[in-house]
Amino acid sequence: MFGKLDWSAIPFDQPIPLIAAAAIGVILAAVLGWITVKGHWPYLWNEWITSVDHKRIGVMYVMLGVVMLVRGFSDVMLMRTHQAAAFGASQGYLPPEHYNQIFSAHGTIMIFFGSMPFIIGLMNFVVPLQLGVRDVAFPTLNSVSFWLTASGALLTNVSLVIGEFARTGWLPYAPLSETSYSPGVGVDYYLWALQIAGVGTLMSGVNLVTTILKMRAPGMGYLRMPMFCWTALGSNMLIVAAFPILTATLAMLTLDRYLGFHFFTNEAGGNPMMFMNLIWAWGHPEVYILVLPAFGIFSEVFSTFSSKPLFGYRSMVLATLFIVVVSFTVWLHHFFTMGAGGDVNAFFGISTSVIAVGTGVKVFNWLFTMYGGRVRFDTPMLWALAFVLYFVVGGMTGVLLAVPPADFLLHNSMFLVAHFHNVIVGGVIFGAMAGYEYWFPKAFGFRLDEGWGKLAFWLTVVGTVVVFGAFYIVGLEGMTRRLQHIDNLAWYDWIMVALAGTLLIAGGVLAQIMQLVVSIRHRDRLRDETGDPWDGRSLEWITPSPPPVFNFPVLPDVHGEEAYWEIKQRAIEQQQLSEVPDYQPIEMPRNSPTGVITAFFCTFVGFALIWHIWWLAALGLVGAYVTFVVFAWRDEVEFEIPAEEVERIDRARRESRQVILERGAPA
Amino acid sequence: MSGATAQAGRQHGARGHDPYALGHGHGGGGDHEATGHGEGGPASKRIITGYGFWIFLLSDIVMFSGFFAAYAVLAGETAGGPGGRELFELPRVAIETALLLLSSFTCGLGSVATERRSVFWTQIWLLATGLLGVAFLVLEVQEFVQMVAEGAGPQRSAFLSAFFALVGCHGLHVGVGILWLGTMMAQLWVKGFRADILRRLLCFNLFWHALDIIWVALFTIVYLLGSGA
Amino acid sequence: MSDHKRLDGDRNDSAPGDEGVNTHEPLSGVKGYAIGLALASLLTAAAFILPGTGLIWGPAIPAALVVLAIAQMGIHLVFFLHITTGSDNQNNVIALAFGVLIVALVVLGSVWIMNHLHHQLMTPADMMRMMR
Repeated sequence: MFGKLDWSAIPFDQPIPLIAAAAIGVILAAVLGWITVKGHWPYLWNEWITSVDHKRIGVMYVMLGVVMLVRGFSDVMLMRTHQAAAFGASQGYLPPEHYNQIFSAHGTIMIFFGSMPFIIGLMNFVVPLQLGVRDVAFPTLNSVSFWLTASGALLTNVSLVIGEFARTGWLPYAPLSETSYSPGVGVDYYLWALQIAGVGTLMSGVNLVTTILKMRAPGMGYLRMPMFCWTALGSNMLIVAAFPILTATLAMLTLDRYLGFHFFTNEAGGNPMMFMNLIWAWGHPEVYILVLPAFGIFSEVFSTFSSKPLFGYRSMVLATLFIVVVSFTVWLHHFFTMGAGGDVNAFFGISTSVIAVGTGVKVFNWLFTMYGGRVRFDTPMLWALAFVLYFVVGGMTGVLLAVPPADFLLHNSMFLVAHFHNVIVGGVIFGAMAGYEYWFPKAFGFRLDEGWGKLAFWLTVVGTVVVFGAFYIVGLEGMTRRLQHIDNLAWYDWIMVALAGTLLIAGGVLAQIMQLVVSIRHRDRLRDETGDPWDGRSLEWITPSPPPVFNFPVLPDVHGEEAYWEIKQRAIEQQQLSEVPDYQPIEMPRNSPTGVITAFFCTFVGFALIWHIWWLAALGLVGAYVTFVVFAWRDEVEFEIPAEEVERIDRARRESRQVILERGAPA
Repeated sequence: MSGATAQAGRQHGARGHDPYALGHGHGGGGDHEATGHGEGGPASKRIITGYGFWIFLLSDIVMFSGFFAAYAVLAGETAGGPGGRELFELPRVAIETALLLLSSFTCGLGSVATERRSVFWTQIWLLATGLLGVAFLVLEVQEFVQMVAEGAGPQRSAFLSAFFALVGCHGLHVGVGILWLGTMMAQLWVKGFRADILRRLLCFNLFWHALDIIWVALFTIVYLLGSGA
Repeated sequence: MSDHKRLDGDRNDSAPGDEGVNTHEPLSGVKGYAIGLALASLLTAAAFILPGTGLIWGPAIPAALVVLAIAQMGIHLVFFLHITTGSDNQNNVIALAFGVLIVALVVLGSVWIMNHLHHQLMTPADMMRMMR
């Protein structure tokens, strides 16, 4: 009846996951109870859960990303404290099989359910606004994408209490991940959580590529798109091209595990190295999927806070496209030591070094953007500045690792761990934080508190420098990654330094949470009346904060690279706003529960497949299919906002703009 | 089929009660028929949908490339078991190919009938497409069953794993396509040529033709090269 | 970009699978599909029959089959999917080209890498045999 599932799946003998799960359960119950008592369910259901508005979905993506980043960071605390306590005779407090699950869950959650939703959420929120359009190409599909991602995140976290998570690392290398060596459900949790979330990511990629290529405001040619839209295009092209490879690879491993196929086994001609090859053919582009949008965010931030147009816009576009293509020719550098010949290693070593040129072009462009500008050091700009310094170091160590002989020494060492955290934290997380601070006023109508923001910034940045600085050093001293127990006492001091750095980051995380709490409390003082709090240059700042559901009462006409900046300058010059447009009724897509219901069924399908409950899997699939048919059958798919309503909303916006205009130069 | 009829069909598809119009035609750009590479404002919903589905298809083809890569690498790993030369029966593959090619043709005729707004002929050709697809699947399942019965199932060797996964993945796509086709025929029956249904028919045509393209790669690389080498 | 050119660009776009908007292709409608079917059948038949006839030099057969397959995919693209080189199809063709590039990189890259590995190292199967 319930396949492999019985009471032994719940780890009663392990206090840590049980206590953690109980704590999460209590918090969750409290939140749900509060919602029920306050009667917020109809609001949540109508305005958020079934929403197909790209802004709402973007905000939900970011919220999921933030929660999962904190979840992944709790794994960090466990790993760092355990390693600090697991020297010599002391065994630490985590048994090996548990420790292995923690570092696997840390990587999986941070990449797939922390960084990805955060970055996709920012793209979802910002791209249609910057393009000057009303929504993405397929609004309901967008909602489906989000809820499938959430479903994958849910499955990953369910493994904490029911069963176990993979012990194979964030990429389940074969043959370790085959049934002969990983008979438990851990790898299955990994496989199905990622497949479900991966479908969501793929559809989101299709959606955003189509949006950027086919839906732009009148006059916005390719070379007039804001830089963030370009990098989002690059990132989503990579999603569309790379995620199917992940789907295929994980499907092969699934066939191996469930039906006894021999893709990656040691027996019957299977080839485990093929898994390495295929997973990294996805894995390296994935790095750029994450970091390209971050590059875009930094481009926007540097230009806005330097009060200058982005330096070298066209070279930035070229560098982005260069990275998109070349990122598909470097994947072997993840397994130089696998044993391919000298010419293969040389090719991939050189192409890896070459891809750094694209990033180098960008770094110089950012520096020249600041040169001669009036630089304002608000929190987003601080993150951007720290990024440049930090990322250059990470990039340099990356080029070092791209040299095959050097890689033979450093492969799987803590030096490698330091390198990729250096680029992913320094690139993606700093970028996400910069984007969060930068666009928060646009999303919610009030700014974030600068004091707490700067405190969080300094604690996090200093903390990461300390942690990964220590890692670089122990890596060079020969420490390998993923050690559950450390015999070499010479590394003790550096591991303690890393622990201290981790505590600094923890302080940064707390300060970041405090910033949100304080800002919500003081939201009236921090209110953004103008819709343009940073003196922005692209179209999202023409809308009020938060933007109305339709974004733009009339689609703006674009006449140059910096669409909003020109409109603003014209208004300041002539001391009057543009003419009152001829308002028309606006048709917008209706909300739809398709996304959340499909994800509901897919969660059950995933759970049932993990535990071999075949009838439930079949039932879930039928449910998902029926949901789609019901969706396809509906007749009323949109609603109309009357012209008077559009006019009323826009009049308020124009009045606030008029006030700024009369006050003089906009703040 | 003249260009004029096609034009009329497109206008029918794009105008009228267009779902998710997202404000097309209300922007400064005006005329939403005149949109395209984005510069005149958002493209029409039909172009957006078709293009989005085209991108999805390309991603699907990339997924197949993963299976093709696995097959290419593992094709020689028979682990002492039977190879392609012993297993593949080209006459059956030829019939399968003919069925799929014909179904692509009938699918095309269906789209011509759709552009002429003939529900009857659209349904007839869709039905023919579906039946040809089912016949193809029956042959494929028969081949699989026969191979498994001969002890040449996917567990036998890495070569057979890669073979079953690659060909089976294509078969799964055909199966899903048939399910989609049936759903669409029912929908067309009930709702007629609504703009969104026209768009879905366009997507289905793309999907079906793309499956045929993948089959071309499949019968060449797997069956013809496999049974010769 | 001049306004004139921009407008031209705007009017030239079609969904993939749609027949050309402005180009009055002679090969549209039933006739187009029939010609496509005929050409595709011809190429398929050639691929199935030619290798057995001895008309092609033995070692060249794989290359010939691949050429026939690529030709047939082209036929399908043009006659069934209406992906042409017309200006209204630019975006569709660019997307296709990107897809083909990725497919080529993944397949050829994997084969190259894994073949090299095969020459350098024992496969797990060989290792098992040695251990026996």
